[in-house]
Amino acid sequence: MLNEHRQESLPLSRFTWTVLRDVNRTLGGGLASMELLRRTFIANGALDETGNAGLVAVSRLTPGTNILAYCVGLGWLLHRWAGAVAAVVAASLPASLIVCVLTVALVRIQDYPVVRMLLAIGVLVATLLVFSSAASLLRPYVRRPALARASIIAMVAGAMLLADVTPVRILLVSAVLGAALSGSARPSDVE
Amino acid sequence: MSAIVVYLLLLKAIATSFAGLGSLPQIQQDFVETRRAISAEQLSQSVLVGRSTPGPIGAYVVAVGYLAAGWPGAIAAWLAMLTPAFAAIPLLVLIQRWLHLPRVRAAVDAVVIASAILLLASGIRMAADAWQQLSRAFPMV
Repeated sequence: MLNEHRQESLPLSRFTWTVLRDVNRTLGGGLASMELLRRTFIANGALDETGNAGLVAVSRLTPGTNILAYCVGLGWLLHRWAGAVAAVVAASLPASLIVCVLTVALVRIQDYPVVRMLLAIGVLVATLLVFSSAASLLRPYVRRPALARASIIAMVAGAMLLADVTPVRILLVSAVLGAALSGSARPSDVE
Repeated sequence: MSAIVVYLLLLKAIATSFAGLGSLPQIQQDFVETRRAISAEQLSQSVLVGRSTPGPIGAYVVAVGYLAAGWPGAIAAWLAMLTPAFAAIPLLVLIQRWLHLPRVRAAVDAVVIASAILLLASGIRMAADAWQQLSRAFPMV
């Protein structure tokens, strides 16, 4: 799930700084931040695609804000409790302070056209990162024997989404469906 | 409203939701309708601030806490936002422990695939939102 050797060479301070930097430079929510974290930690060898997929699944199943659960999981994988606490503080404290400042000054800030333009561009960039993140999650499953099972799960999830089923129910039904279909493909099929 | 009440109410709302803005209906009920700690307009402003700030959208609850109880409320809201995230650790431990079992692996794979579908849907909604914001920011678009 993670590279043990790399874990030792990635100090807690550097890990914390990376989380702080990647989470707090994206607009549009945690999905874009997850993609930045994935790119950073896979590039430096601290995480692999399987580990990232597990973190995404866990973050989706954890109550509350997905990106904070992702950061707690990532921190715990790399530095156990110290990493989990450092990551969640680094991911949330700057944004929370900015929220307080903006709350006080909201009306004036909204009136500045430059601010509105920057926000619009920021959301557009975040949207592209979200699509990139979805593509990276799906990539391992669009190959050979796993494709049929993945297609069934994707279609069922899509149908439930269109039927306004809540995300957590979609995930739980998908998990049950995946387990039920597990006889049709070996786990190694999706490696 | 005391900071402890802010923490407990926000924790209830956040722990029963599975996305940044998923806690909004419960917060609306508790803070706006039942206790009248903030107005509906202030709640909308909080959401707007959350959407306009880098980082987690869920950080809008800090604005709710600030508006309801000042800086102690903001700190309580921040703690309420962090608390449920630690549930990720036991989930991760369980997944790591059982991941070698084919059915567990298949279930996790299925959750990842479904997550990607949900991401795509979120991306489409964000694209529409981005287009609207761009249209307002650049009228010639």
